[in-house]
Amino acid sequence: MTRYFRLIRIFTGATISAQLEYRANFLGAVLASLGEVGVALLGIAVLFGQPGTVSVGGYSFHQALLVVGFFMLTEGFISVFVQPNMSKIAEAVRTGSMDFTLLKPIDAQFNVSTRNLNVLRLTDILIGLGLIVYAASFLTVTPGGVVAAAVMYLSALVIVYCIWLALSTTAFWFVKTQNMSELFSGVFGAGRFPVTAFPVPVRAFLTFVVPIAFITTVPAQALTGGLSPLLALASPLVAAVLFVGSRLFWKKAVGSYTSASS
Amino acid sequence: MTPFLRKFRILFSTQFALMTEYRAEIVIWMLSGTLSLIMMLVWMGQAAAAPGGQIRGFSASDFASYFLATWFVGQLLVVWVAWELDFEVRQGTLSPKLLRPLDPMWGHYSGHVAEKIVRFPIMLVLVSLFAWLAGARFSLDWRVYAAVLGLVVLGFTVRFLWEYSLGLLAFWTESSTSFQEVVWLVYAALGGLFAPLAFYPQWVQNIAVWTPFPYMLGLPANLIAGKATLEQAGQGALVLVGWLAVFILVRLMVWRVGLKKYGAVGA
Repeated sequence: MTRYFRLIRIFTGATISAQLEYRANFLGAVLASLGEVGVALLGIAVLFGQPGTVSVGGYSFHQALLVVGFFMLTEGFISVFVQPNMSKIAEAVRTGSMDFTLLKPIDAQFNVSTRNLNVLRLTDILIGLGLIVYAASFLTVTPGGVVAAAVMYLSALVIVYCIWLALSTTAFWFVKTQNMSELFSGVFGAGRFPVTAFPVPVRAFLTFVVPIAFITTVPAQALTGGLSPLLALASPLVAAVLFVGSRLFWKKAVGSYTSASS
Repeated sequence: MTPFLRKFRILFSTQFALMTEYRAEIVIWMLSGTLSLIMMLVWMGQAAAAPGGQIRGFSASDFASYFLATWFVGQLLVVWVAWELDFEVRQGTLSPKLLRPLDPMWGHYSGHVAEKIVRFPIMLVLVSLFAWLAGARFSLDWRVYAAVLGLVVLGFTVRFLWEYSLGLLAFWTESSTSFQEVVWLVYAALGGLFAPLAFYPQWVQNIAVWTPFPYMLGLPANLIAGKATLEQAGQGALVLVGWLAVFILVRLMVWRVGLKKYGAVGA
């Protein structure tokens, strides 16, 4: 276990020093973050800007802002930790350089998931945290709520990682996976709004088919103490099932890997 | 003029063959542009929850009509040329194109038009399906669709030119595609992707009427949804023609100045 922590430290150091070579890209990353948060904020600003509108899907303005905060935080998590790694799986399978990963005496899934970081997009994480703190300062938050939100959000991160891993693992059969992740981002865009803002059939889809509700709405509910016990139990459970499922899927994919030359 | 048209026709037919190869990707690109669909669902939920079932005179079905129409129009206005230019300038693949007896812009333009033609039938199927699911109602007047076509052709060309100018910033910076994303945000906001323009504060509307954005996206969508008149379409077309002239000049200037700056990779 300590070996894996040491490896994470080495990987992080290597990837950061590689990125500091391209400092000029920082401006671009900041603009991209601002664009991302702009879309989310404009969306709720126009909704709440209508005369007589005090809530969207039963959420007050600051509660909805909390959801936006969790959305930005998750966007940041994906851009910094998940996407830089997952986008390289397809490339490695196509060129056959996956051979080197599989030959190393460490767990291959660990290696492909932690090797790279995109530190430039840390701004997304900062913006997300800022929004959450700002929105929470207008709401009554108990210490219990904070703990519950932390647990729910940890499950959310596991869910996000597992979905991305499963989508990227399909690269072992279908060469190109970039389109799948774009499709995921398209659906994930619904996470900008509380899931209760959608019509009932869509709400069910976003909870049970693509578990977007667990990623942004449930942590926000937990923080303000409005979480139902059923959802509180379901979130870690979904995370655990997805984790085991994506792990098995990865194992099966690696088992059918035949390298690039044959 | 005839040699130019012949070159353009050949470019177009190769680009069309290329785009039909990508038809599966085109469906996925279409489905990943979900913002107007998401906004549609949220506004429909809002209208259903509001007293009287209406917000500013829009019922759930009106919202469905408006946002499906913006989705439809938005799909026809999609431009990705900034990414291609960014790649070509940085990788130096622009160099061989400079030797051709035709401005490289026409290759990109024909590629975009070809992709729209491949996209169009798939889109009709999807829009009909979504309209049936969401209960949207569209205008049945054929003159409306002629006006929409005119506005979309103008709007697409204006957008193509400003995206092209932004893409050419790759001559100076490596972040040109990020500028493109910020401009997209303004386009989406003032074009009416988040809500019909009438839902915005008055001062935003006062600024928006001077920009090309409402006339290329919101206006055609309102026409399709039956919320705008043909006179408004005519006025919008005039504004777009004005902006078209502006962006033709801007593009030409950035291209001339940028080309002097261009030192191909390895040169």
